[in-house]
Amino acid sequence: MGERPPRNETLPLPLPHEDLEKILVPQLPAAYDLARWLTRNHNQAEDLVQTACLRAVRFFAGYRGGSARAWLLRIVRNAFYDSLEDARRDERELSLEEETASEREPRDPSDPEIELLRRADGEVLRRALEELPAPYREIIVLREIEGLSYREIAEACGLPLGTVMSRLARARSALQELVVRTSGGRP
Amino acid sequence: MSCNDTRLLLEAYSDGELGGRDVLDVERHIAECLSCAQTVKARLALREALAAADLRHRLPARSQARLRGAISGVRAPAMFPARNVTLWRQIAAAAALVGVALGGFALGRQWPRESALQLADAAVSSHVRSLIAGRPEDVLSSDHHTVKPWFTGKLDFAPEVIDLSGEGFRLSGGRLDDLAGRRVAALVYHAGAHQISLFTWPRPGIGCEGPGAAQVLRGFRVLLWSCHGMAYVAVSDASEGTLRDLARDADAALSTPR
Repeated sequence: MGERPPRNETLPLPLPHEDLEKILVPQLPAAYDLARWLTRNHNQAEDLVQTACLRAVRFFAGYRGGSARAWLLRIVRNAFYDSLEDARRDERELSLEEETASEREPRDPSDPEIELLRRADGEVLRRALEELPAPYREIIVLREIEGLSYREIAEACGLPLGTVMSRLARARSALQELVVRTSGGRP
Repeated sequence: MSCNDTRLLLEAYSDGELGGRDVLDVERHIAECLSCAQTVKARLALREALAAADLRHRLPARSQARLRGAISGVRAPAMFPARNVTLWRQIAAAAALVGVALGGFALGRQWPRESALQLADAAVSSHVRSLIAGRPEDVLSSDHHTVKPWFTGKLDFAPEVIDLSGEGFRLSGGRLDDLAGRRVAALVYHAGAHQISLFTWPRPGIGCEGPGAAQVLRGFRVLLWSCHGMAYVAVSDASEGTLRDLARDADAALSTPR
């Protein structure tokens, strides 16, 4: 049994600044990717990540271990939604409403449609993803592009695990519809 | 299993996030249900296409440098850490007074008072997080022979996964967690309707020292003790007596040669 040397018993509350850098810097690429998908713009994405990093430094006492990536991504998305003007906040509210609405049965994809999906090219996928409402777009980015576990997504988005699953299901069905439609599979 | 029961599980199934019996249930269902089988096929096709498309936006080197500069440029406001330390001292002092008032029961001499409080606080946070997440276990099993090997390779120690089913503590699984900056094993037990998180990690050089008085934090009771070179922290909304039984039974189980 490998014994580790006894470690300092104190919580890393007043953590040295260098350690905070060590925690944040490796998460910057994921933070930028999410920010870029949310803002759809390089400059805004860079600003958003910078805002999030400043908040992370300020709120660091609130970090209690766990996935540093989920923690920083959560700050990124909160900063993004905070920055939306009132009008565009609808984007978030609407979809939340939709989530509680009664389940609309998605149509089962046919074999030719599945083939279209499999061979969908990058440009079609990128455009379809950009068209999705922000909450759908972000959950697909977190799962499919950044590879977060359900639990990390739950932490990053502040959602119960059950909602992570149902939102992923809706987001993917919506993305599939869009991809099939733009690939000319369905009028 | 009906399609409605399966629809959410299909997502977790195609993401490889489903465990144990659920996988078998889903597989049995999609073997018979064309509609659900098509959904899974579509998910896999979509994933394949997304992976091939490589849609990640890469952080340009210049941006990376700018962001690093911004992070190292800001200093955490000096009052934050300072105030926290003072706050901890005050809480520790208050707790010590309460301890004295309750008959001088210290937290246990092996734990410096402040770190015992900090550990208890971190343990409660982790316990609450696991309750909120709705799935407190990463490995789901009531069999300690299944749970123990699961930790192999995930930790630099082998946690004792103690079978206490005979004492009324039903093991439901385990997970990895971070407690006050160290990677620990968290075992999940159930006593009646109460869920108990039992955190453990090596603490060499400390003999068996029984728990002191339970701490009460945010409505949860926390018990700390050390035994056979391992530290244990139990958190639950169960009564202090229940946690003490757990500690005693665990100690007894570990002291019996197997």
